[in-house]
Amino acid sequence: MPRRTRRDEAHHQRRKEVLHAAGGHRANDFRCVGCRLTVSVRAPGTAHRNHCPNCLASLHVDRRIPGDRDSACRGRMEAVAIFARQDGEWMIVHQCLSCDELSTNRIAGDDNVLALMQLALKPLQDTERASRTLLAL
Amino acid sequence: MSNTSNTLKIHTFTCAWCGLTVTRNAADDSVRNHCPSCLHSRHVTDHVEGGPSDCEGRMTPIAIAVLRTGDWMLVHRCVRCDELTSNPVCADDNQLMLMRMAVRPLAQPPFPLEALGSL
Repeated sequence: MPRRTRRDEAHHQRRKEVLHAAGGHRANDFRCVGCRLTVSVRAPGTAHRNHCPNCLASLHVDRRIPGDRDSACRGRMEAVAIFARQDGEWMIVHQCLSCDELSTNRIAGDDNVLALMQLALKPLQDTERASRTLLAL
Repeated sequence: MSNTSNTLKIHTFTCAWCGLTVTRNAADDSVRNHCPSCLHSRHVTDHVEGGPSDCEGRMTPIAIAVLRTGDWMLVHRCVRCDELTSNPVCADDNQLMLMRMAVRPLAQPPFPLEALGSL
């Protein structure tokens, strides 16, 4: 889906020591732990793809810096929430299913739009809370 | 000399963001770790190793995560060390702030939402 461009407030990605693609630890494609889709490391819009573009699942291999491969957990990470950064960039919050660790990652240009919207709308599925908030106004 | 066993003890903390004095125990006897008014928290427990953390940084609420049971969790991030934590929301948390957090991504979609209709 075409990206809504905001040229005036372009955000530059934070520089990292380890890069996924350029001669880093993972020069090849990886296979998604959830849907077994073979995912290419080259992603539009991000240099640090860590989740499957189809089901947004990830693997707990990095500890602090993307690509450091410092975690011994190797558990499956599921997308639990979406938040928008100050500049409007969407981030996915992943939670590890085996150790409950949380991590964030930018969305990529080819991420499944329906899965992203489903995740963003998850808090609003329960209409009872929304109507209670309206009544409290 | 005061009789300490007879004294009512109320544990409170001051919010790092709005300065509100908050009781540590919520009305439903759960332990509170974020301000019910502005939802900010403080980085005092280390979630990787357990025990107290020496960061003491302010933690801003960034997202709402929904459990399988339908309960809301509040995801905080430390502004000093970027550590992420998730905590259950309290019954007396500011509902408007929670709702604002939940609809915030929808106000700034990275793709045109009109295109979703043609899928």
